[in-house]
Amino acid sequence: MDILDFAIYVAPPIVVAIFLLGVGYRLGRYLFFWKRRPSAPRRQRPLTKLAVGLVMAFVDPLIQTLKHRKGDFVGALVALHILGVIPLIFLLGQHVAMFSYWIPFYSVLRPLAIPSSITSSSLTVASGVIPASDMSWGFVNTLWGPLVVILNGDLLAILAILGVSYKIGDKIVRLVHRLGNARVGDWYALALLLAILVSGFMATHHLPSGEIGTYRTVLGVHITLAELLVATLPFTKFWHFVFGYWYGKLHEWYDLKFSRGSL
Amino acid sequence: MSWEEFNAEKVRSAEAYALRHLDSVMLHFFEDCVNCGLCEINCPYTAAGEEYGPVEKAEPLRKIYRRHAQIVPKLFPWLFGAGAPKSKEELDKWVEKAYRCTNCGLCYTTCPFGIHSGEMIKVLRGYLAKSGRIPTLLKLMVDAEASNTLLENAGLRGIWEDAVSKLKEEGVEFNKKNAKYLYITSLAEVMMTPGSVFGAVKLFKKLNLDWTMPDKPLSMRAPIGSLAGDDEATAIVARRIYDYIREINPEYVVLSDGGYPYTFFRFDLPRIIGEKPTFKVVHVVELVEEALKQGKLKFKKAAGKVTWHSPCKMGRFGGLLEEPVRVLSEASSDFVKLKSHGSFGKCCGGGSSIACIVPPTQQMMEKVMGTSIPISGTEKAFLDKLYKDMLVAGKAKVDEIRESGASVVVTSCVGCMHTLSMTTQAYGVNVKLKMLSEFLSENLE
Ligand code: SF4
Ligand code: SF4
Repeated sequence: MDILDFAIYVAPPIVVAIFLLGVGYRLGRYLFFWKRRPSAPRRQRPLTKLAVGLVMAFVDPLIQTLKHRKGDFVGALVALHILGVIPLIFLLGQHVAMFSYWIPFYSVLRPLAIPSSITSSSLTVASGVIPASDMSWGFVNTLWGPLVVILNGDLLAILAILGVSYKIGDKIVRLVHRLGNARVGDWYALALLLAILVSGFMATHHLPSGEIGTYRTVLGVHITLAELLVATLPFTKFWHFVFGYWYGKLHEWYDLKFSRGSL
Repeated sequence: MSWEEFNAEKVRSAEAYALRHLDSVMLHFFEDCVNCGLCEINCPYTAAGEEYGPVEKAEPLRKIYRRHAQIVPKLFPWLFGAGAPKSKEELDKWVEKAYRCTNCGLCYTTCPFGIHSGEMIKVLRGYLAKSGRIPTLLKLMVDAEASNTLLENAGLRGIWEDAVSKLKEEGVEFNKKNAKYLYITSLAEVMMTPGSVFGAVKLFKKLNLDWTMPDKPLSMRAPIGSLAGDDEATAIVARRIYDYIREINPEYVVLSDGGYPYTFFRFDLPRIIGEKPTFKVVHVVELVEEALKQGKLKFKKAAGKVTWHSPCKMGRFGGLLEEPVRVLSEASSDFVKLKSHGSFGKCCGGGSSIACIVPPTQQMMEKVMGTSIPISGTEKAFLDKLYKDMLVAGKAKVDEIRESGASVVVTSCVGCMHTLSMTTQAYGVNVKLKMLSEFLSENLE
């Protein structure tokens, strides 16, 4: 059994189990630490204002970043999150195929799949080679049309690699300036993300060589690292995507806007 | 314990205090920070040094929590920077950070995860106080307030008694049971912004309210212990205030100080006392707005450009962001909002006790109290630097005021008034500063 077999056939149930235990642990702590206290009467505000306030609670930090930290807006938000993490993880053609294999329901997203490169889908069509299985048909004629010029795995991966590198560089600069604003978890998260992105890019391009054993190893490493991310997600800063962001913004809205009426 | 000492045992034992504050909201503040540093962009103290960014200032508390509340950092503290400060220098650095925060809440609204670093820093202050680092003047006030001995000082007593006799001349009835409105002021308000108190009294008379007020100060301001993270002193003073209110049994408690006393009475008191209040808490601006709506009050339109500095506690944390604007627009012919007005309104730079402990205030207090406040070399250096940094932190607000072209700046917080008087002077911006009730009472028709 090589690393690819391990990643595909052995690791998944273990990863899911660790992930679920972690989620239980993290959420359970909120219950454990909860303290009941009498609260002050809330200030009455119109529902419409509260609803706009709720949306703004999520939007305001974006506006503030755009206003005051253009570098972070482009590098961390656009390149890393919007162009990088979300479409690359959830919509990249190969990933849609893989997730559909594990979670059949996921195949509803197949029409939205992003091809791995600007030429991959058109080449398949133009070369007249009929795909070997029905499954891959969905990825040939992409819904994105000419948008594949931007929406393709190669470009998105490169942008995401730039975004992660920007954040690593930013941390190093901060350390040099003795701001100490770097925790061990930051390095773990960023290094892991970079390794996943680079190994994924290499696997897609059959790098460093097209030899099958090397390909299986690189792809196996890529999937194993991604599984490591999922397994450790509840224990790291990646948790922000699952819980911290939603809870935090809702709590802030509830505290400042709903209870205190700061609108 | 002096500022020159370092007592490792005390430092470690202070951890119990910090841990008491670890509830589910604090757990979120502690664990869900992704360390992105975005909170820095609006913190007034980042201007004085990036090391004063909110995440940096809250980090010491995280270090303490990590050691106790997370499994892996408990096993490998060195890897996660978990644990207490190990030297006097480290402890002094922590204090420096903790007193570069006004608890203005700008980090709270700016953070993409709604993390309120200011709240963590407040707990850190309590931890530091227990470790032997609390500014002497602040400690003096906390202790005098908790032991209810504020008026034992002849200077402070003179100020209070002078105000009481003037109020008596105005016909004020003190401690009247079952009055509909109970006006609560503080020794600080009477001492620093007496116009605010007399202005409020004039407004109550004009509105023909059934009202009363205490003849003794219930606190230095609100429990000042809450600014130093002293839970015990805060609870003692809160209980005393609460018992007094229950004795008078008003329907409303009214405040003219829109600084932290407003949020203390309006939002914090039930949590500290552990009871739902039987009275409502309102700010003078709410009474005035209501009276304007009902046509019970009219203002002359004051000439000149007037602007509003929204105290963080009254606006962002108190919900009264637009009410003062509406009222001031009625009472002035040329009202202009400051550029950052709203949820991201800039902080004056001196809140959460900073303006009340910096050297100029200390000198003023020494004069008033007729005593000299003993301060060690380390504390003096700390306070001198704090004053310099406070002026830097307050500059953005002064710039906004200058840009607005206003000749009168109205606010409603004793601390903001005091800070703005120092910062506008330091940057040569010549404006008149007025407390809201004072300004409104002067323009009554
Ligand atoms: S903005 Fe929020 S998540 Fe980012 S460093 Fe500051 S507190 Fe942490
Ligand atoms: S509460 Fe205000 S001063 Fe304190 S860290 Fe947050 S932004 Fe800075």
